[in-house]
Amino acid sequence: MDEFQEILQDFLVESFELIEQLDQDLVELESRPKDLELLNGIFRVAHTVKGASSFLNFDVLTHLTHHMEDVLNKARHGDLIIDANVMDVILESIDLMKALLVTIRDTSSDAGIEVGECVIKLDKVSGGTGDVETPVSVIPPVIEDTAVEEEELDYDNMSDDDVEAEIERLLAERQSQDKAKRAAKIAAGESVPEAPPEPIDEDEKPKEEPEQEAPVKAEPVKAPTPAPVTPEPVKDEDAKAAAPASRTPAIVEQTIRVDVKRLDHLMNLIGELVLAKNRLIKINDDVEERYEGEEFLEELNQVVSIVSLVTTDLQIAVMKTRMLPIGKVFNKFPRMIRDLTRELNKKMELELAGEDTELDKSIVEEIGDPLVHIIRNSCDHGIEMPAVRLAAGKPETGTITLKAYNEGNAIVIQIDDDGKGLDAEMLKNKSVEKGIITEKEADLMSDKEAFALIFKPGFSTAAAVTSVSGRGVGMDVVKTNIEKLNGIIDIESEIGKGTSLKLKIPLTLAIIQALLVGVQEEHYAIPLASVLETVRISKDEIYSVENRSVLRLRDEVLSLVHIGDIFEVERILDSSEYAYVVVLGLGSSKLGLIVDSLVGQEEIVIKSMGDYLAGIEGIAGATIRGDGGVTLIVDVAALMHMAKGVKSTSMIEDNSSSTKEKTKASDYTVMIVDDSKTDRMIMRKALEPLGLTLIDASDGQEALSILKQGDHNFDAMLVDIEMPRMDGYSLATEIKKYNRYKNLPLIAVTSRTGKSDRMRGVESGMVEYITKPYSADYLSSVVQRNVNFKSEFL
Amino acid sequence: MSDKLKEIINNQNKKDNLSISHSDDVVQLVGFVIGEEEYAVPILSIQEIIKPIEWTRVPQTPAYILGVFNLRGSVIPLIDLRVKFGLKAKKHNDETRFFVLKQGNEVAGFVIDRLTMALRIKKSDIGAAPDTVAGDDSMIDGVGKQEDRILTILKVNKLLERDF
Repeated sequence: MDEFQEILQDFLVESFELIEQLDQDLVELESRPKDLELLNGIFRVAHTVKGASSFLNFDVLTHLTHHMEDVLNKARHGDLIIDANVMDVILESIDLMKALLVTIRDTSSDAGIEVGECVIKLDKVSGGTGDVETPVSVIPPVIEDTAVEEEELDYDNMSDDDVEAEIERLLAERQSQDKAKRAAKIAAGESVPEAPPEPIDEDEKPKEEPEQEAPVKAEPVKAPTPAPVTPEPVKDEDAKAAAPASRTPAIVEQTIRVDVKRLDHLMNLIGELVLAKNRLIKINDDVEERYEGEEFLEELNQVVSIVSLVTTDLQIAVMKTRMLPIGKVFNKFPRMIRDLTRELNKKMELELAGEDTELDKSIVEEIGDPLVHIIRNSCDHGIEMPAVRLAAGKPETGTITLKAYNEGNAIVIQIDDDGKGLDAEMLKNKSVEKGIITEKEADLMSDKEAFALIFKPGFSTAAAVTSVSGRGVGMDVVKTNIEKLNGIIDIESEIGKGTSLKLKIPLTLAIIQALLVGVQEEHYAIPLASVLETVRISKDEIYSVENRSVLRLRDEVLSLVHIGDIFEVERILDSSEYAYVVVLGLGSSKLGLIVDSLVGQEEIVIKSMGDYLAGIEGIAGATIRGDGGVTLIVDVAALMHMAKGVKSTSMIEDNSSSTKEKTKASDYTVMIVDDSKTDRMIMRKALEPLGLTLIDASDGQEALSILKQGDHNFDAMLVDIEMPRMDGYSLATEIKKYNRYKNLPLIAVTSRTGKSDRMRGVESGMVEYITKPYSADYLSSVVQRNVNFKSEFL
Repeated sequence: MSDKLKEIINNQNKKDNLSISHSDDVVQLVGFVIGEEEYAVPILSIQEIIKPIEWTRVPQTPAYILGVFNLRGSVIPLIDLRVKFGLKAKKHNDETRFFVLKQGNEVAGFVIDRLTMALRIKKSDIGAAPDTVAGDDSMIDGVGKQEDRILTILKVNKLLERDF
């Protein structure tokens, strides 16, 4: 049983792969019906599937593929011309085959799908020389094919062998009829001078025919057929058919199949490695700073750079194993266009380019749906009816070009059509009508912004709703999906000339380049793909329009939002006079995000925050930084959405300080910062008589963390200058960054008496400078003065 | 040293065997204190217990979610049980611990005030949750009775369930 399952799995994988290529080949075949290479390829697919399915006892599938094989075999031998009608039947049978394969995959059996009707059609196609859908056979069974029909109906009840035998018999019969007919026609002088190669009627004809023989061989059959086959043969199909086949034999690639899970695991491990690498680089930087000029540094540097280089290469290598050519997605579109051409009665052609461009597997899976929507939209709204096109002086057949190419760290998928183009005015009017935008907004809109309106939910420009598009879903789904992939959409359009849509998508999702920004004491990572630029502005460049902050950036007005307002960041630090604006671009919208500082660019590994915290608005995930801390990754799409509902507050100074009335001496709190315990004791002794609350800290770091905890409201600090970890000057500078402690009196208590030391003290924000040794009374009086000590407590 | 250890282990085993006859009837719990109350969770649901480390605030979440922290390369949510249980947040001190609970794929860290001990309780000593707080929505699985105290046994799946 296991062995059977294994074979079955292989069979399914192989079949699905074959079928994927099949759709495209078939559509190509329609335009080049005499391409032997193509025909042989398609025939082989049917043949392979038939062979394997009969071995695995999938009778229905075997039955179907057998008939497909018949038809294709005929075409291959030139006995049958593939025209649109024949192609419809073949495509139908391929669809059935797919359905059967899916059923087999899901249930391990091929029961439950009716193939009889399609088999009849196939049989008819392969039966008569091209008289597929003559008026007679439109009412299918009765007149001409009675015998066949009866046989067909019985198939389900017949044993396989009987069916096969019956088919063989019928085939032989047909073939001899064909031969006779053809002979008659050749005799009548309708055919080309040269006689067709003999082997046509023999089934065992060698597969590989020299290519140039194809047109010649098919000619005699074609000449007599046009009249019965289709009322009006399609002209350009014939024209194209004459073009020589240009398919080169595929190069055999050496591959092994690997479970995607293993690749994912590998990717996770690489992610860990990247994090470790980041950490190593950070440590290296620290060490460099501390031991400047030491010899071992160079060696360490070398190792770190090698590790970082190899990690990057490794990451790229693993990323590449997950890459799939985008052709896998593109392949289904020729078929779609073909179907749409018939459905919409338009003439359209699809040109593909850059199918070899590679993308991460997960993205390839996501990109299919948006592309379907875009292409359908182009077909339905973009390309005009043939008559309209002719009247506009354009070729009757519209062209849609789908191409993919690499651009930096991203892949661009471009969809162009030469249709009627987007009418900015019409889009605006429509949107106003539907209440999507106000008239005022419409007036201010640039053409490009107007084009972007087609991505708004509930928007549809088609006057009539068709089954193809215009139901108001679709393009906004495109936008959502592309944004999910951190992609950007760009539209260009000219009325009468056509529309061009560019999707710019990052190559991979797991490891991204990010811009790290700081707001107060927090850091956030913004995917670099969504960052257009960063600018430093001074606060008076920010204008307020209708309660919203805006910035004039070159010739554009950019709406601004402070990251702190969006993420409810508590404002502890004093904001400086300057701010940085990160200009975010996503899809077709832009937003300026104000941050306090730009930290830098870093490669980050996206980690999920688990189900518990999934879907937090504005947060796409988290990453672990070089120092082991967690940094949140901004979800730019959500952020843009949130920005609409945020009122700006961060830029307004807020001066409400909570100074409580002092009612007793111990309400006054003073911190003593000194690394020497003795010195701290001396200060304590000097101040204790006042009855103040005294808190000790042994260095700058400790003092700062006590301040940050916010357990006490300090009224003054006594700071020693010479201290390990963080000296008095640095401590003072740090403290002054905090809004809350901007006015906290800092009193330097030090043995440094130099003038320059005093100057530095003043620069870093010290208000008093006491030199050691000092008298207890002097210290006490300085402190009393600085905390505004009320004399009644004495 | 190892002799001493063995002795201790032996002694413990003896005690255990004395007090509890059949291990089947026993649940092993780890007790901890939040505010004034003592709670417990099954020992097997605990992935680890660590001292407080730095965490990162996550915006747009209820107050009891402190944020996320890095546990050897995984990003794990951190929940303050004091706040969740309606108490005022408290500064972390030397006794504060992060309880990392795991069930299936769900992992989260919980801040508790103080660990008490690992304990074995006979199933017969566990009573149902009071009627007023029982039910599927309740976080309380039952009430364990010890000689001199009562501890509330919490449902791990409820603790790990997102409720916002």
